[in-house]
Amino acid sequence: MKALINAISYYLPNKVLTNKDISEEFPEWSVDKISTKVGINARHIADKDETAGDMAFKAAEKLFEEYNITKDKIDYLILCTQSPDYFLPTTACILQDKLGLSKKIGAFDFNMGCSGYIYGLGIAKGLIISEQAKNILLLTAETYSKYINKEDKSNKTIFGDGASATLISSTNLPFGLNFEIMNFCYGTDGSKFDSLIVKNGAHRHPIFDGKTQYDENGDYKYNDNNLYMDGKAIFNFTAFQVPPLIKETLEKNNLKIEDIDIFIFHQANKFMLETVRKRCEIPAEKFFIDIEDVGNTVSNTIPIAMYKAMIQKKYMPGKILLSGFGVGLSMAAVILKS
Amino acid sequence: MELSEFLTKFKEQYVDSDSITLSEDDDFRNIESYDSLTGMAILIMIKDNFNIEISEEDYKKLHTVKELYNYIQNKK
Repeated sequence: MKALINAISYYLPNKVLTNKDISEEFPEWSVDKISTKVGINARHIADKDETAGDMAFKAAEKLFEEYNITKDKIDYLILCTQSPDYFLPTTACILQDKLGLSKKIGAFDFNMGCSGYIYGLGIAKGLIISEQAKNILLLTAETYSKYINKEDKSNKTIFGDGASATLISSTNLPFGLNFEIMNFCYGTDGSKFDSLIVKNGAHRHPIFDGKTQYDENGDYKYNDNNLYMDGKAIFNFTAFQVPPLIKETLEKNNLKIEDIDIFIFHQANKFMLETVRKRCEIPAEKFFIDIEDVGNTVSNTIPIAMYKAMIQKKYMPGKILLSGFGVGLSMAAVILKS
Repeated sequence: MELSEFLTKFKEQYVDSDSITLSEDDDFRNIESYDSLTGMAILIMIKDNFNIEISEEDYKKLHTVKELYNYIQNKK
């Protein structure tokens, strides 16, 4: 029994936040200098009344249309999000109805961020191999912009909203991508849970009583009601933990770096990707970076990058190594084979 | 590691390392391309070479490559 990625599509909200918009709002912020380093010029931002559920719906509809997939084929729906429509019920149940999928399907959300897409592939493979499902719709959708404080120029520069849809099946799809999902490796360090966090609003700190903190220069530092990121902690985790994970993943699949045709990592930002690429000793020509017009869209970055590489650029490699890392702190990697 | 070698490795952390001049007594934050990301890269280079982690607080107090080098020597 095999599990195959047959099709990928994605959706980005219409509203675009450009560097020009950011520099007009924060004239003292050297956005061009920062954006050159992080490699991001524009990000898409969900409308006030547009949720992760709405965007996941659009990504799924786009996938069905692009690949001519009949909806009744789907027998399991998984949504990865950290910005669900409600505390409960699970957004995936709402999407089952909205997308007009069969009532006989399984559907659930899971809460993961930058490593979420790989986790989704891992769950989907498990469901297929154990014969619980044959055609799984894996959705990722995130609206981090709704968590970001209006004064938080650094996170505004990095994060964008978006959604993706992937069809994972037990058989090939005519004209599909048809990448076999090989072996996985995972890693978790919960001791750093508070280095990327939205602290207030759930049950540990139910009241939104955060006060904005500023540094000695009067620059925004954090507010517990909003998204907080300790960039240094995340950078350290990635720089030191991801290279051994990549090595382990290659070993688990009996492959070497030179056997891989393309490496597609979570598109966190260009500077961090370049750092991790060098530390993993991956040649630049095999390393895919494309975040200029989307930004860091959390669990969406890998499927978006795959779409850009394979569908827009028509590049169909033999072996791909995917890896996601960040919030949790959590990381995961897998190899795909055509 | 000698100070001169440390200075070379330090300079490599700047995106425009080929075109900047940095001596051991210069304030390394005064280089145009220095920002928090350069700072992260420098701290990673130090951890790689000396297995020392420098706190945000201590790092802020250090202004020149020589000061940073001496700090590391005292910590070892």
